[in-house]
This record gives sequence, structure tokens and C-alpha cells, in this order.
Amino acid sequence: MAENGGNTVTLTIDGRQVTVPKGTTVLEAAQSIGIDIPTFCWHPKLDSIGACRMCLVDIEKMPKPAVSCATEVAQGMVVSTTSDRIVAARKGVLEFLLLNHPLDCPTCDKGGECDLQDITFKYGTDKSRFAFPKLRIIDEHTKTTFDDKRIGPEIIRNMNRCVTCFKCVRFNKEIAGEYDLGAYQRANHTVIDAAPGEQVDNIYSGNVVEICPVGALTNTDWRYKVRVWLTKQADSISPHDADGQNIKLWYDHRRIFRATSRRNDAVDEGWICDLARYGYQFIDSPDRLMSPLIKRQGRQVAATWAEALELVARRFRDIRDKKGSVCIAGLSGGNQSAETMALFNRFFRTVLRSNSVDYRLDYIDLKDGEITEAYNCLYTAPFQIAELEQADAALVFASNFIKEHPIVNLRLRKAVRKSKARLFTANPVETKSADISVDELIYRPDTETAFVVALLHALIDQRLYKNCPDGRAMELQSRLSPSSLTEAAGICGIEVERISSLARQLASAQNPFILAGDYLTASTQRYQIGNALYNLANLLGVPDGKAIILASHADSIGAERVGLRPALSADLAGRLAEAWKEPIPDSTGLNTSQIFRAILDEEIDAVMILGANPAMRYPDGPFVNAALDKLDFLVVADLFETATTAKADVVFPLAGWAEQDGSFVNLEGRQQRFQRALPPKAEIKTGLEIIREIAETMGEPLAGDDAALRNETERLVSSWVRRPRVMDKFYDVKPAPPVGHEGYPYRLLVGNDLHHVGYLTEHCPSLIRFTREPYVELSPSLAARLGVDEAALVRVESTTGRLVLPVRISEQFDGDVVFIPNNFAAVEVNTLVSRDGGGWVKIERLDE
Amino acid sequence: MEKVLFAHVDNPQQHRIETYLAAGGYQALPKILREYKPDDVIDLIKKSGLRGRGGAGFPAGMKWSFVPKTSPKPKYLCCNADESEPGTCKDRVLMESDPHLVVEGIIIAAYAIQAHQAFIYIRGEFVFPAARMEQAVEEAYARGYLGKNILGSGYDLDLVVHTGGGAYICGEETALLSSLEGDRGLSRIRPPFPAIEGLYGCPTVVNNVETLANVPLIVNRGVDWFRSHGTEKSPGTKIFSLSGNIKRPGNYEVDLGTPLSYIINELGGGVPDGRTLKAIIPGGSSTPLLLPHQIDTPLDFESVAQAGSMLGSGAIIVIDDGACMVWTAMKLINFYQHESCGKCTPCREGTAWLKQLINRIEDGNGRPGDIDLILDICGNIMGRTICPLGDAAVMPTESIIKLFRNEFEYHIEHKTCLVKTSYPLA
Repeated sequence: MAENGGNTVTLTIDGRQVTVPKGTTVLEAAQSIGIDIPTFCWHPKLDSIGACRMCLVDIEKMPKPAVSCATEVAQGMVVSTTSDRIVAARKGVLEFLLLNHPLDCPTCDKGGECDLQDITFKYGTDKSRFAFPKLRIIDEHTKTTFDDKRIGPEIIRNMNRCVTCFKCVRFNKEIAGEYDLGAYQRANHTVIDAAPGEQVDNIYSGNVVEICPVGALTNTDWRYKVRVWLTKQADSISPHDADGQNIKLWYDHRRIFRATSRRNDAVDEGWICDLARYGYQFIDSPDRLMSPLIKRQGRQVAATWAEALELVARRFRDIRDKKGSVCIAGLSGGNQSAETMALFNRFFRTVLRSNSVDYRLDYIDLKDGEITEAYNCLYTAPFQIAELEQADAALVFASNFIKEHPIVNLRLRKAVRKSKARLFTANPVETKSADISVDELIYRPDTETAFVVALLHALIDQRLYKNCPDGRAMELQSRLSPSSLTEAAGICGIEVERISSLARQLASAQNPFILAGDYLTASTQRYQIGNALYNLANLLGVPDGKAIILASHADSIGAERVGLRPALSADLAGRLAEAWKEPIPDSTGLNTSQIFRAILDEEIDAVMILGANPAMRYPDGPFVNAALDKLDFLVVADLFETATTAKADVVFPLAGWAEQDGSFVNLEGRQQRFQRALPPKAEIKTGLEIIREIAETMGEPLAGDDAALRNETERLVSSWVRRPRVMDKFYDVKPAPPVGHEGYPYRLLVGNDLHHVGYLTEHCPSLIRFTREPYVELSPSLAARLGVDEAALVRVESTTGRLVLPVRISEQFDGDVVFIPNNFAAVEVNTLVSRDGGGWVKIERLDE
Repeated sequence: MEKVLFAHVDNPQQHRIETYLAAGGYQALPKILREYKPDDVIDLIKKSGLRGRGGAGFPAGMKWSFVPKTSPKPKYLCCNADESEPGTCKDRVLMESDPHLVVEGIIIAAYAIQAHQAFIYIRGEFVFPAARMEQAVEEAYARGYLGKNILGSGYDLDLVVHTGGGAYICGEETALLSSLEGDRGLSRIRPPFPAIEGLYGCPTVVNNVETLANVPLIVNRGVDWFRSHGTEKSPGTKIFSLSGNIKRPGNYEVDLGTPLSYIINELGGGVPDGRTLKAIIPGGSSTPLLLPHQIDTPLDFESVAQAGSMLGSGAIIVIDDGACMVWTAMKLINFYQHESCGKCTPCREGTAWLKQLINRIEDGNGRPGDIDLILDICGNIMGRTICPLGDAAVMPTESIIKLFRNEFEYHIEHKTCLVKTSYPLA
């Protein structure tokens, strides 16, 4: 047999020739020419285990039928999927699988999309030769044959329906790197169950329900609500993170029933996190704002749209015309559609004539005299998630990436597992990646700059830099602060040798990546860290797209590209002016932090906030609340009543993303469209409608319809010009001196809970089942020192506020770092933090 | 007949390294390290014609030669001591009574494939043999036969004794490796074969205890001596475990090719007085049965295969006319159902269904058509499973039904045994 010279192999399947790449399985080769081979345990993204024996085929010269899912094609192979022996084998396997299957399709939620049902219809027989009582695994607590056991906050397992394909266990181990689900016992008593003493509550847990070929794993979200064939599907994008997870919404005319993955190999490969899966539920929440509210005599009362719009239009016009357009500012949440942000931007800049617009509401941006180019350059780097698979080394820095970027995390796991990439992480806390990291470095809180500077020293000391003459490197080193590796390493509390070793391994890699995340973004030192990181990427010779500060929100990059930020590049300003046929106002725009300061200084009188809750989320509670309280006129459009809407003069009920067409631009700069699943209920309107109607009521309507807006937005997003990283440019790094915190010994980190992102997810019952209630997370050592156990109440106090919270003890925390999620409306965590020295707390046990 | 593997098993002190040394032990190893390159050892074993004693009879030298020499990955040797096949109890004796013979074999084999880490995977129930092996390994370390720079040769080897959890499936090499890795003892699809991707994805050789015990003897006494025992294609001696309805059950070492009748009648003393031989399971519980007229079958791999069965692990189970074959089939299928790992459908579901059917017949509730149904189910298992456990359950079942169908029919029709069993059954 002649060996095919190239990288392809030609074989014959059922008499048809097919040419496929080497390494393809017989199953995939058959699929590529439309030949159906039934499977249960095969999954395109999991290693094949050949367990279900459904995909058997006959291969010439092989004595026994072979599993097509795990047999690689070979040149000249002759395969039959329809021989008598194979037809009989399939019937046999199906008969075996159905022996003890309860056949409870009428009450099973998988009915209509069940592999066992479909394959039985196609390949099975309608008679059973099995004449024994069916084996029932009966839960000792329920004592019923409906062996429904809750094995996680959302997941319910029915072992009687299980075909033991192990897909769920394999997903958990291979893809997610989680071990909370396993198979126990053996033979036909094998059970799938949560690990002893654990629950299946990892952030990817919902995937096991989706890949279950039968109804053995279902979730509360979908159970007993609707039959699948009565639903329609809308293509959508998860609004809760910047990765851009592709999802499908399943809905009827009244409501959405579930979200599932919509495989996109460039982004998510068909895996989604629980936030994407259950995070749609806020759309159907009974707590939604249903009509506009107007504040009358200090109380918000329901009003008609006409009244509300009239009031807003009049006040905006008055303030603009009498006090000046610089007295009005606009803030939008980072997960509004790109189209909404584009129109919001245009409304502010052309109608209200103000440049004070921003979408970055969750960090303090002082930036006085700061160089922001390096940071902005890394933040908008042309990074591709899929390229991570080619990485041979990666440093994930200042990012709890499992929480922040669940899909980036899965790609990194894949790179480690499949391509043997060497992963290093550097964070103030552990990140649940010990199993895949070569080294997991923990630096002291707030020492991000020192950490990167230490790495720079290590590179220069060992002469490991690229693209840089020695003299230049020495000169750069002389301008670094701290001034030596020992000093910098000492500040961040990491052994010098570990930093030197990291430098060596990154420098010797052929294709290293550097990813940074929210600990960097949230730091008041972000521009200094950005400078240091820029230098690091350049010294290592890491190409532009492979060093990035990952964006935080679903449409952060969309906001950047449509220009929803105070300062615009000359290029973008020119293109916006051209698109709007109006000049950009020449006043200086203010960013979020400057806007709040300007309110306190009585320079801004009116603010409009679209889908954001800074009163709860801006990390300086006393400051932001004082500012919002002082405002003359506040308009807020949101889905729910929040701490921010409570302060508003006018509140508009805002549609959620699933109630409109639109697009998000993910952290790669990939614009992805989402479709409307449901029309907005009651008097709810979309952001676009609200902006247009205010403009119309002001008598200055915005030209162009939604289609024109969509085209304009697409143009802005796709033709956006970024100044690439200059590979031989270096920035000075001068970290600010540490802030004193005497009497407040513990560093408080505030951020998202694993199953909570932002403030909307509090209205998703499935996600609440995971997190349950607010908490303060402590290290075991700190808990021991404070003498507190899990669930004990403690008082957490800073210079600006105090909270009482139950304790959770986490192995991921070490020493004196504590964490409180800022996702619960009832707990105003930002009262504990402030711009000057906030973020340090003391903790006392509350004795009953 | 010369006893070679069992030459010293009757010496109660043979398990101590001093005794082993005094009897000429640890002479093969220094010779190998001094005079043989790894490839020369593989050649020697290839020339000797030594075949695996675990059941499949695969040539040991060839198995070793499959380990890729240029692989940058570490290589591993695993001694399969998970002796669980019903009727088989030979490895246990070797480990209890002459553990250093096994250890020496392991070291030589590991050297041949250039492994620096070896494991002995011992069946969980083998508490005493495991203790003996532990002690032997400790003694070997103390004398420099294991560890760094063995006997000044520059060759390093560590040997770990690992006990399983008592699962039959872990005697199957891929399940053994899964278990050794700390995972569930489930078999894996092959290819990749362990020699390419075995333990932790690295090249691995898995050899039976008895196979490895032969290695020092071949080194010491030469290929010609080894080939002077046994047959052309099945050279050497073999330990047979004789059990069942036999006067003198026990382990007997004979040359391969020795007639079955010699072991049963001469060594075992035949079936108890007043009984007649009815059937023989020649190679462990997973092999098809032989009938009394086949009693002169020579016990080598080829001859037993020609007679329609398998030499397997060499466990001969003798069945006399007092045994009901339905009961026999039931005992076997109950075992296989219990030991199915549950990974692949035909074995997991099929053995359970067979168990229900055969037990129903045994209990007097059999229905017409059950026999054909059993045979049909056997057909849906045979050759369709990941590992040989499915086949192992089917082969004796099919064989018993084909040879003694009348007993099954009688059971179904009369709801009782055709054979009036005259001794207590467990």
C-alpha cells in the first residue's frame, strides 16, 4: 500500500472515498462525508475512551469490530459502518443500554433531545427480551424509583437513566480540572456522584448537564418547565464576562427557559461557565422595574413615559443651555450593547455637547500626571484566545482568571494538557490553578509593580532580554524603582530564586504569553504596573498580541472602539465627527472618578447613568455616595431598583440584553451579535429607545434608524485603529509609596464572587443557590488567629465603615488577605474602601 | 522432572536474602550489568523463547523490544502480581517463598528496557505475599541490588511494592496501570499499547511474576538449557495450579508440553475414588472446557489452543461427575459479573443479564428459550469489549452450554439438577 506523501490520508467508508488529515479518527472521517455513526461516550472535545461500544465499525483486515471514535485513519483503510455484524452489534449494545433504563421519557426533561431516544428510534428494536425487574438504584432517603439526588446546587442526578458514558466525569477532570464529581462502585452498580463530602459546584458545573446524552443529569433551571420542542432558540452572547461566550437562549413567547452553549472554536469550544448558563435568569425576574419613576417630594413614584421624558428633556436642556454643556455627564455600564454605547456617546457629544462620558465605573482613576499609553496599549492588544493553544509558556499575572475569564482559563488548561505549555501564575491569592502551574507565585497585596520590576531586574541581571542593546537595558535598569532584584523581591515577598527562574523560563520560551487582569485594573497603581508590564513584554520580545491586560466587561472593548471615553484619539474623533456630521465638542472630558469629583466641586449638575450601579460598585463608597447625593439631577436607566436608582430624580425601566438585538465586542476585539429572544415586558424600553426618545423630546432627534446605527457601529468597531506596541520603547516605573494603614492590618480585596458577576446576577435564582449569602473569606491561619470558625459572624471595619458578615474559610487565601464579594445589594462593601488608604481593615469576632 | 522455578520453594528460609544468595541467587544480575548491554538482554530473552505466563503467552523479549529506545520519556516496568484468575495461585507461592527470584528478574527486565522505576502491583488480598515482597525489596536495597548505582554499574532503579484494592480487572494490564496511577481501575483502549503509552503516558512493560522469575534462570543457565525444557514454540517449565475435584490439589511445576493426564492422574492422583472425570478447565476460569477424551492434550500454548481452549495462566480446574454444570456456569458468571469494571456497555450490562438468566435456570425458574438467549447475549459480548474480561466471561459460559446443553434443558424442564450432586457445594 502506497503511503500518502502529504499530511492527508485517503480511505474508503461504505464504498465512498474520503481524504482527511492524518490523525483524524474513523468516526470524524465518516462524519465529514455525512455518514452517521451513533455514539454515546464520544465527544469532539474529550479524549475518546471507547466505552459505549456504539460506534463500532468493521475495518478490513481487523478480526474484531473496532471503535471508530478511537481508531485513527490509515491510508487505504476500508471501513464498513453497515455490515451485518455492525448492525447486529449496534442492536446488541442498544439492547444492553435499555435493559434497566426506566423508559420514563414522558416525564424526562431530556425527552426530545435525548441521544438514547434518537439512536433507539434509528437503530434499535421495539421489543425487549429482558424479562426481569429492572435494576433500580434507589436513593436511601427518597425511597422512590425516581432516584433524583441533588449532587450540586443546580444539578440533579438520576442514576437509573444513566448510560455510564463517563462524559461528565471526563469533562470535569480533563477540561475543567475539577474533581467534585466522580464515578463510584463498579459493574452495573457504577454510580456517578459528587465526591464524598462535596457538591458539584464548580464554575463549569452546568456543562455536565449539557453533555449528558440522556436525562441522568438535569438541572433545576430546566426541569419540568417545558418540552424542548415547544421552544425557539435565539443566538446570544453571555453578557457577564469579557470572554464572549457564545450561547443559545431557549424561549417561547412568554419567557426564556435556559441557556446552552453554541460552540465557537475560536472562543469557547462549546464550554460555557455557569454565569453564562444561568445568568439569563434576571430577565424573567419578578423584581424588574416595569415603569418609569419620578421623584416627587423626595419620594419616587410611578410616572408615564411622557412625563418622565418631558422632565428629563427639560432639565437637560436647561442645564446645558444655562449652565453649560460641561455640566452634564454620562456613564454607561460595560455590558450595554456596542450599538447602545455608540448612540449614548453620540447623544452626549452631539446633543448635550459634553465629552464627559465613560464606561469604566468600577475603579478609581486618579491619573493626574500619569502616563496611560502603556496601559491602554496592553489593554487593547490584538489578542486571540485560540492562540493560547500554541503557547509554550504563559504568565498569568494579577488576575483571578478562573473567576474573571473562565474561557481563557479553559484554553490555558488545554494548552497545558495538550501542548505541555508551562504556566506561571502570580497573584495576591491562590487561583485554583496549582494543578496546572509550574509555579504559583503569591505576592503581597499591592506589590504588583514591585513584582514586575523584580522580573525586569531578573531578566537584565541574567542578560536574558531580547530586542534591546546592553547599554539600553542597563539604562532602563538604572531607572527602575525598586532599584534591585533583591529589594523588589523583598517587597513582594517572593524568593529571589523563584523570580529568577521565572525570568529564565519565560525568556527561553519560543511562544510566551503574558496575561494580566482585574487585580491590575483595580489597582490605583494601574498605570505604573502597565508601564512595567510594557517593559517586560518588550524585554522578552513577546509580540504585540501576546501581552494583554484583559478587559473586564462584555463590551468594554466595544466601548473603547465606539469612543465612549472622555479622551479620543485624533483618528477616532475624526471618524466620529464624520459619521455624525457634527464636530466633537472641544471641551475637556472627564472620566468617572473626575466626574464624581466635579460633582462634589459643584462643576457638574446632571448625570445620566445607563445600566450601572456605581453607588454599590464604585470602589469608594463614601465618595461616590456623597457625589450622587449632591447631584442636582440624576437620571438612571436600569433593570432593577438599585442603590443608584434610589438616588435618581428619574428612573427608566431598561431592557436587558436578551430583549433586544445588539452586539458585544469581547476582549479579543471580536464583535459578536446577539439576537432578541423576548420583547421587553410592560413599559420597559431598550437603551436605544430611551436615548432616542430623550433626544426627540428635546426637539433634537438623532438621525438614522437602528439599521444605520448597526452599520455605523460595525464600521467603528472593525476599522478601529490602535497604535501598536513599540517593541523597543520602555517606560519609567515609579511605584507610589505604600499607603499607611496602622491599626488596620488586613488587606481587603473586593470583587466578584465565583458565581456572581456584577449586580444583576443577584436576580438569578440558580446562581444564588451557589453563593447563598454574603460572606467574608479568610485564610485558615487568619481564622485561627481570630479564633473564628466557618459561618461565625465577624465585624469588618475600615476607616470609612464597618460591616458584619459570616466567615468562610478558604485554602486559597494565605495570611492577611481577606475577600468580600461586591455582588450583594444588602452589603455595601464599598463603604469599607476609599481612595486614600482604603482597603485595609481590622476584623473582630462577634461574641453571641 | 526438574523443578527450576520451584527449586527452593520448600526451603522455609528461602525468602531471606542470605539463603537466596547461598543458593546462587543474585548471580545473574551482576553478570548482566557487567557483560550485557540492555539490547543484549532483550536479545537473550528473545532467543530463549520465553513467553508470558500471565495468560496470553506473548513472547516476553518481543514485548520488551517494543519500548521505544529514543523516547525522551521515563520508562517503567510493572510486575503484574494481581493474581486473581479463579484457580490460579502460582505467583503467590513464588512471592511468598522465593521473592528474591522475582526481584532479581524485575531488576534485569528493568535494565533491559532502561527503566529507572519499577513497580510490583500486588493483589489487595495478598497481604502476606506483599509483606514478603516488601521485605525482599528492603533487603535488596540494603545490599545495593536496588537504588542508585547498582553494584557500581551506574544503573539506577527504584522498586515500589504497591497493593491493589482487590479488583480482578486490575490484573488486566491497562486497568492495572490506571489503578497504579491512582485512578479507578478501568481498562483502556489499545492502541496505544502500554509499551508506547503506559503508566503516566510513558513507555511501560507489564510482565507477570512467573515470567520475570524465569529471567534470572535463563541468564544463569543459558538459552539452550531453557529450551531443553518444554517444546519448540513453548519452551521452559510452567507452574500449573491444580484444583477442583482432585485428590492432591496444589501447584506443580512441569515442562511445557507435558500431557494434561500426567498432571491430573500422576501428580494430582486423579479424581476422588468412585467418581468419573467430567470436564477440565485447563487454563484458569476464563478458558473453554476440555472433555475427558482430551486428557492427553500436551500442555503448551499451541496444543491447548488446538484442542479448542487456552493454556491461559495454567490453572487446571478438574470437574467430576458429581458437579452440576448449570451450577458451575452460575458460579463463574457470578464472579465475572461482580468483577466487571463497568466501563464498556457489553460487559457491564451483558454479564449482569447473563447472571440473571443463569441464576434463574439454576433456581428452577428457567424458561424455554433461555439457553438460546444466553448464547445470543454471549455473541453480543464476545469481541465487542475494551478488554478481555468480557470474552473471559463468555468463553466458559458458551463452552459449558455447548458441551452440557442437556443439563440446562433438564434444569429448565424439571426445575432440578440432572446431576445428583453428592457433596456440599459452596
